[in-house]
Amino acid sequence: MTATRPRKPPAPVTRRVARWLDRRLGAADFARSALNKVFPDHWSFMIGELALYCFVILILTGIYLTFFFDPSSNVVVYHGSYAPLQGVRVSEAYRSALDLSFDVRAGLVMRQIHHWAALLFNASIVVHLARVFFTGAFRRPREINWMIGVTLLILAVFNGFAGYSLLDDQLSGTGLRIAYSITLSIPLAGTWMASLLFGGEFPGADIISRLYVIHILLLPALIAVLLSAHLFLVVRHKHTQFAGPGRREDNVVGERMWPTYASKALGLFFLTAALLCFLGGLVQINPIWLFGPFSPAEVSSASQPDWYMGWLDGALRIMPGWEVRAFGFEIPNPFFPGVLLASVTFALLYLWPFLEARVTGDRAEHHLDDRPRQRPVRTALGTATLSFYSILFLGAASDVIASSFRVSVNGVLWTFRIGVFVVPPVIAFATYRLCKELSARDGLPTRSRVTFRQTFRRLLFSSDAASG
Amino acid sequence: MAEPGARHEGERGAGAPRTSASADALAAVCFAVSTLAAVVLAVVYWRGGNTQAEGALLAVCTGGIGAGIVVWAKQSMPHDEVAEHRGAIESTEEEVAAFTADYEAGREGLGRRRLLLGLAASAFGALGAALVFPVRSLGPRPGKDLKHTPYGDGPVRLVTEDGTPVRIGDVAPDGVLTVWPEGHTDAGDAPTLLIHLRREQQFRPRAGREDWTVDDHVAYSKLCTHVGCPVGLYQAASGLLLCPCHQSTFDVLDGARPVFGPAARSLPQLPLAVNADGELIARGDFSGPVGPGFWDRDR
Amino acid sequence: MTRRWSIAAVVLALAVTAAWLLLFGGRARAQTTDGALVQRGRSLYATGCVSCHGPDGDGVTTPNGELRGPSLRNAGAAAAYFQLSTGRMPRANSTGQAERKRPAYSSADIDALVAYVASLGPGPALSRIDIAHADLAGGGELYRANCAACHSAAGGGGALSYGHYAPSLLPATPLEVAGAVRSGPGQMPTFGPDSLSDAQVNDIAAYVEYLHHPRDPGGVSIGRTGPVPEGFVAWFFGMGALLAFVAWIGTRMPVRRRRRDAAEAGDG
Repeated sequence: MTATRPRKPPAPVTRRVARWLDRRLGAADFARSALNKVFPDHWSFMIGELALYCFVILILTGIYLTFFFDPSSNVVVYHGSYAPLQGVRVSEAYRSALDLSFDVRAGLVMRQIHHWAALLFNASIVVHLARVFFTGAFRRPREINWMIGVTLLILAVFNGFAGYSLLDDQLSGTGLRIAYSITLSIPLAGTWMASLLFGGEFPGADIISRLYVIHILLLPALIAVLLSAHLFLVVRHKHTQFAGPGRREDNVVGERMWPTYASKALGLFFLTAALLCFLGGLVQINPIWLFGPFSPAEVSSASQPDWYMGWLDGALRIMPGWEVRAFGFEIPNPFFPGVLLASVTFALLYLWPFLEARVTGDRAEHHLDDRPRQRPVRTALGTATLSFYSILFLGAASDVIASSFRVSVNGVLWTFRIGVFVVPPVIAFATYRLCKELSARDGLPTRSRVTFRQTFRRLLFSSDAASG
Repeated sequence: MAEPGARHEGERGAGAPRTSASADALAAVCFAVSTLAAVVLAVVYWRGGNTQAEGALLAVCTGGIGAGIVVWAKQSMPHDEVAEHRGAIESTEEEVAAFTADYEAGREGLGRRRLLLGLAASAFGALGAALVFPVRSLGPRPGKDLKHTPYGDGPVRLVTEDGTPVRIGDVAPDGVLTVWPEGHTDAGDAPTLLIHLRREQQFRPRAGREDWTVDDHVAYSKLCTHVGCPVGLYQAASGLLLCPCHQSTFDVLDGARPVFGPAARSLPQLPLAVNADGELIARGDFSGPVGPGFWDRDR
Repeated sequence: MTRRWSIAAVVLALAVTAAWLLLFGGRARAQTTDGALVQRGRSLYATGCVSCHGPDGDGVTTPNGELRGPSLRNAGAAAAYFQLSTGRMPRANSTGQAERKRPAYSSADIDALVAYVASLGPGPALSRIDIAHADLAGGGELYRANCAACHSAAGGGGALSYGHYAPSLLPATPLEVAGAVRSGPGQMPTFGPDSLSDAQVNDIAAYVEYLHHPRDPGGVSIGRTGPVPEGFVAWFFGMGALLAFVAWIGTRMPVRRRRRDAAEAGDG
């Protein structure tokens, strides 16, 4: 009888797979440090994740929709199952969207989940931006990450607009007309830009297929790349944390990634998905069959863009009819609210960390978050700005407000014209006082000695020169 | 290493995970419900689908998984407060010096070939500029398109969207009709509002346009001069045109002058006449470029 | 013998009259030539309408030149039917826009008044309505081309200038739609038979009827007015739910020992 060496029992499958991978990737050390990463677990730090999860849902549902959607402006006759459009001439794009809604099983729920996810993607980014702003988490070393974040906001807004404009329905087509005209209003280059983007005069036959490429390839790719950079920087810098027992600038206190934080993150992803599925199945959104196919000669009352463009639409409405004309040239009216205001908004957003550093003179590294009440000036400016844009948002709903409450739409617009200048300073003042009160009551020291009055001087002359 | 610290509100105490039978049971129920929902979802789909059922079941399925994981994480997983050291972000002096040294050493290899580097840079730049040129293929030169509509090609009959010519008398007093130049009912810049005013409304023609109306019929471009939405709301009693997009309001009796809202220009007017058969014709193009403004609109 | 014949003649005449009234009298709307209906309308008019619209529908102007009630000579059956059956007329005062309210007259009385007003002079007639045989898709196209700009794509109405509004079409019956289209009440333009044929008005009325209960395959319709309610739902319900989730999952800041913590945290 030949002697056989005693065999060890075979290792479990997971271990064998891990061994196989490690022999090709050598990732054990990296993976270990990933497992042990510490994350502060304050609830407000999870808002950025919400945006990430919405993006994932957008990609998943979006891929499904691309198999059914036809981004063509060719005219066909509709013969699907929605009776009130039977025999109507529509574009291929609109027809394929109707088919998705009525004749593809699970098509409508996918479409609606996708659209609700877009609304919540933008909303999460804005709430996340507000959290980062009010806690001062944009300060050194995170200025680059802040700017990447602002870029992600711009991309999300544009991608949402491109997405719902693909369907070539009356409502989104009106929005495209407005986008074309705002592009047209840019001095010198406007007529060229509009012609190149649309392939000629509005509406042209190219815009739907071009928006399709922009919406499913260019912008999502850019978002994915910037999102990866954004997350990489968060890992590189480690997350900020609120001051508290044991928390200093040179440490990060929280939960380990494995198993707790990772599980919570995964759970939050599924809960986000659950909310989006709930909305997608039970709350109707964008009923394009009621709006009808796009025609440049038709329009419906109560035409608004999706919420994240509302501030632009509101600005267009409350702007008085002023234009600049000289020597046969003009800067048309829509340029001021549509291009100038938008540019100033995003310029201020991009530059904020540097403006604040210039005014406060504080260029040190910060890893401890401020509580908003500890920075009365910044918080007051933030809430005032939010109130300014909120009034613009409400302005976009001027005709809906007028007809819902049976008031004059002219009166509503005048109210917003005045309110947009009167309300922000009032909010700023009230916020400032509230912050002062709360921080005094809690015995929290103010983090900066700069007052409102000093802000402008320091902005212009820099805090190093100014002393009071 | 766990550092002692104050407890967070609403958290279990730091230290070893406390397994709680009820917490585990709750998580188990969540997962079970989720599994059930997935099965029912498959059945619903197989039976023909229903948007509300699909959405609700997907929500229960994903929500069950999510709630189960979160309950499990909150109740049963460890919550030690752990501290990790946060190093300085800046590189150390030594690291910077080492980098600089290696970089400078490499640069020696490039040598002092300023001219060569300059030429290489200009080649890159020129290539970059040249690669931008294909963008020009995206669309035509704006040119005169924005200042010209099909009405400008000579006198043309006004027709409705299905091509039927419009006769005097088709539009009732106080009525409005959207019309196009014949043969161009798909032109995006040509939609026109034909309005039949009441006899008692005081119409004040603009200078030089006294013969642009026929029998109390007046025609204006339907494209708003603000951002181009169709000005679809004709308020017959007041003689006002209201654009639904941004509430620009135009006075029909005064050459469609803007009286409220962001529009800064009147709606261009179309010169009307009647031909021998009693059909309405346009004698020429609008009084100005239609639609929203642009840089060289008045040139 | 002649007496029997005369009694028979009278009875026959009465019978014929009764039969004729039964067959042709009463509820026929289009019968403006029906003398009895017009008579009834005239007497109703004399009690309910003459104070503002004048005898014979000539209209009434107050001594300082204000129009208390316009002339009804050219109002026609369309205007009369629309105003009376939506309850807009009679009005207590003439300020602001007339609102829909409970009709003051029964439908029989409305028919009579409509007949009377139609007899006053040439005016738009009420077109024939038969929505069961209408072209729904054609009506939808006409609606979106002519009506949606003021009344909105889903028929919910919309704002006009200076406090006026285009009312919601959700309570409107097909005949009321026809009446409004032909008579152009208030700020609404008038669409005569040469711009919209009777068949086209019928199609539009059918589509408006559809808008009362449109298909909502997507779920709760939240008003069908598009992005405004959708934005509110996204923020208040959606974002609210998501923030509730993170509040559940994440931790809150330590509330105790705040003063000591502030000293420890210092000027970080």
